[in-house]
Parts: sequence; C-alpha cells; structure tokens
Amino acid sequence: MKKVLKDITFGQYVESNSFIHRLDPRTKILLTILGIVFLFLADSNNLFSLLVCIVQVAIIIAFSRVPLRMYLKNIKAILPIIVLTTIINLFYGSGEVLLSFWRVTITTGGVNRAVYMAVRVILLILLSSVLTYTTTPNDITDAIESLLSFLRIFGLRTAVHMLAMMMTIALRFIPTLVEETEKIINAQKARGADLESGKLFQRIRALIPILIPLLISSVRRAYELAEAMECRCYNGGVGRVRMKELKYGLRDITAAAVMLIFCGGVIAVNILL
Amino acid sequence: MSSILEVKNLCFSYDPNNKDGKYAVHDVSFSVEKGDIIGIIGHTGSGKSTLVQHLNGLLKPTSGEVLLNGKNIWDEPKKIKDVRFKVGLVFQYPEYQLFEETVFEDISFGPKNMGLSGEELTARVNEICEVVGIKKEYYEKSPFDLSGGEKRRVAIAGVMAMRPEVLILDEPIAGLDPKGRRDTVSMIKQYRKAYGATVIIISHNMEDMALLADKLLVMNKGSIEMFDTVYNVFSKYDRLKEIGLAVPAAAEVLRRINEKNSSIRTDIFTTKAAAEYLCAYAAGEKGA
Repeated sequence: MKKVLKDITFGQYVESNSFIHRLDPRTKILLTILGIVFLFLADSNNLFSLLVCIVQVAIIIAFSRVPLRMYLKNIKAILPIIVLTTIINLFYGSGEVLLSFWRVTITTGGVNRAVYMAVRVILLILLSSVLTYTTTPNDITDAIESLLSFLRIFGLRTAVHMLAMMMTIALRFIPTLVEETEKIINAQKARGADLESGKLFQRIRALIPILIPLLISSVRRAYELAEAMECRCYNGGVGRVRMKELKYGLRDITAAAVMLIFCGGVIAVNILL
Repeated sequence: MSSILEVKNLCFSYDPNNKDGKYAVHDVSFSVEKGDIIGIIGHTGSGKSTLVQHLNGLLKPTSGEVLLNGKNIWDEPKKIKDVRFKVGLVFQYPEYQLFEETVFEDISFGPKNMGLSGEELTARVNEICEVVGIKKEYYEKSPFDLSGGEKRRVAIAGVMAMRPEVLILDEPIAGLDPKGRRDTVSMIKQYRKAYGATVIIISHNMEDMALLADKLLVMNKGSIEMFDTVYNVFSKYDRLKEIGLAVPAAAEVLRRINEKNSSIRTDIFTTKAAAEYLCAYAAGEKGA
C-alpha cells in the first residue's frame, strides 16, 4: 500500500532552463497536439514518413535537456500496453503470409502494422513526456485557461477560470493527500488494522477506516481553503490580473516554424515516396 | 527491575538505498524500565516521531534492533501485529483517525482487530471507559459530534482499549484547551495506575514533562543528546537552549530572579514546587 503511494510521482517537472522549458506553455500544448496528430498522419506503409517523426521527437528531446533515463522511465511504465498493442496488431493486416498455425496467420502487413503501432505509441509517450517534464503543472493550467478563453464569447468566462482553478487546486493537493493517507494508514495499523491480507471483500472493507477519515479531512481542508481564499478577496476571477502574464516570443515562432517544417516533411514524404 | 523495551544502535533512513548517507534516526540506543514514564523532547524534525514508530514496528530499522521483553520484534515479521497490540502508539492529532458511527464502535476497533468479540469485547470497552472516565451516555454518540478535547480522549481510549503494556503518545496535548489538557493528562495517569503500564510521551510542553516524566530523552538531529532524570536534563539550561529547547517556565522565572539575587535556587522545575519554595523563602526572609 505504502509503496504504491510512493510511486505516484506527480508534477513530473524537471528543473532546467532549456529552450523548450522557456517556451510559452500554450505553444508547448498546441505543438504537442500537432505533433501527436502528425504521428498518426504519417503513412504506415512508408518507412521514411515515420523516420521523419522519429528524427523530430529525437531533436525535441535533445533540446529539452531532460536526462534520457527520465524518458525511459515513462516508457517502462507503459511497456505492458506497448507489448499488448504490438501483439494484437500482429494478427491483423494482409500481405504475404509469414507464419500460419491453427487459425492464426501472421502476414508481412501485420508485422509492418505492429512495428509502426509500437513506434507510434512510444513516440506519443515521449512527446507528451516532454510537455510534462518541461512545464510546471501551474503553467499547464494557466495555458489551458488562456487557450480556452475564447469560450468567453459564449458567456463562459467564469466557468473557464473556475475549471482552471479547480485543476490547480487538485494538483496542488495531491502530495498533501498522499501524506495524509500515509498518516492515517499508520494510525490504523497501530490499532491493529490489517490491510495486507484477507480476501478481496475483506480488503475492501479494511479500507473503510482509511477512506472515511480521509474524506472528512478533505472536506475540512476544502472549507479552510475556501475561507482562506475569501479572506484574500478571491471572487472567482472577475477583474483578476496575473503576476506572470503569458507572452508569446520569438522562440515560440521559431519552435512553431520548426514543427511546421517537420509536419510538412511528413506530408511531403507521404505523397512523394 | 527488567527493561521492557530496549533499542540497540537503531539507524533509519527514509531512502531505502540511502544514497546521500543521511539518517532520520542515527545510532540510537536506550532502554526503558517497566512502569517508567519517559518523556521525549526535541525540536521539530529531530527524529522523535520517526523513533517511536520503530517501537511498535510501523517502521523497520535500516540497521539495529528493537527488543520488546528481550525479544527482537522483527524476529517473526508475520507476528508484527501482536507487537502493535503490546506497544500502543497514539499519533499526533489522533481525533482525525476516528471513523466509526458511534464512540463505542470506534473504541472497539482495536480490540476487534485483536480478535475479541461479543461480551468479551463489550467488557473490554466498558472497562477502559471506566478507567479513563468516558461516561456511558457517550457510547451511542457519533464521535464527530464531540468537542475537540472529547474526540481526542475517545481516540486515545481506542488505543488504550488494546491494553498495551507500553503506551506511546505523540504530542497528546497539542492544540487542546487547558481543561482538555488536564483531562488528557489525568487519563494517561489513570491508565498507567490501573495497568502498571510503561508510558512514553513526546511533548513540547516542558511543564507537563516536569510533572509527569521520570526520565527525559532529548533528541537532537536524529541522535540522543541526553537520556537522564528530569532533574539532570533541566539542569543543563544552556545546552537545551542551544538545541532549540527550554526549561519549564517556573525554572525560567527562578533563573531570572537568580540573576538579581543569587541566593535563589534554580533547580526547581514544577510550578507548584517553585511556588512553595518562593513562599518559604519569603517567609524566611521576613523572619530574618
């Protein structure tokens, strides 16, 4: 139990001052989405198309100045999913039959598909890791608020702000809750609570002494936080100004241009080769 | 007298690989005699809470051992639960761990985990409530409807109901009002008297420590700074100040008077004894 809690590393931000770290978070979010879309636009029958994507992600990772082992850690975490998709894809597709037994046939098309799918999933994880490693959770929520601000033409301005505030608070309180949970677990263990053995039903029942105090303390914390926010005149975002304004700069244009060149490259390779 | 609890060269690091070589608790050894009241004092982050979590097996030492009645508690890891019944640990702010619908149910949680049920269980809860003065009309109340001090006492009773031989309390009176503090202290005393239990208390309240404890264990930066009688520990005024601690207010007052009048004693630590001494001194002066 305790181990599981320790493994939740949230806010994976890695401190650095690289080119990518200094990009506007909105640029990073938009370009990440763009990159992911183009991973799937790359023609799966065209080796060069995927190669362009690989080069692109490799360059981005190099510029992020985050240790490579951090990225490998994330890939390791979803390795089972990669293996599963690869195996499933192996049995689909047509083409020259490579292997045939019982009702299963493996074709060149299937192998092709499996490899492409695996590479794509890995690139997808790497690309989104770049975002979370180089952007603080607060910056991400600020960027989401800013990106969604077009909704205010539908009269949803406060709603967008509230959503962003809720995300910020939720992220902020994850470590606090983890700590609190550990404390409660220890306290109930000290009273002889058994969390590690028994059948499934017993194990679920054993969680009650932990979940109820946790729920109560969360509600208490929410009230306290709401009061503290009101004491500082928080009123839901109307007329609120920021200390750190998000601003696009030259480097955002550079990054966007580089990304667009690569996307153009993917399209060109898809058509030409 | 035999020592009920013995800690030998205990080291503990929160990082299992201990890359940076830092220890939360470093090379701690001491032993506790049966029936003693030990006070643990130390500044915030000195390793007090980490140390006591080893005594009931919630934390496993990185090196060193903890002996309960002469037996290493980690000899049979599967029976560590039994150790937790023998060494009861009350955490800081224990009222946040209440969860049952009624006071009675919550106090029964520990004994139930020991395997008690039916009449035996009821008898156990009745007994402990009688010893520590929780009235029967509270049994059916929801623990969440009680006052802060009452909640605290119900939570402590929940640990006492397992009838541990060693009772450890981590800052049992922090955040209580004066009445809540008095009630909680007297409840601890009553438990000890009724069962001859050994008690270990972590506290920042030096007055209560002077009043309650037989011996004081002073922690500083994860190691034991002193482990001595209350008298000897509080006599080391300068060293205590240096490591962020203090002597009881009464002793501080006597020291200040002593600066003006050096015939005043400074080795009295409880408020009551200090008052008596000062009265006697004043009477003597008048007489002279």
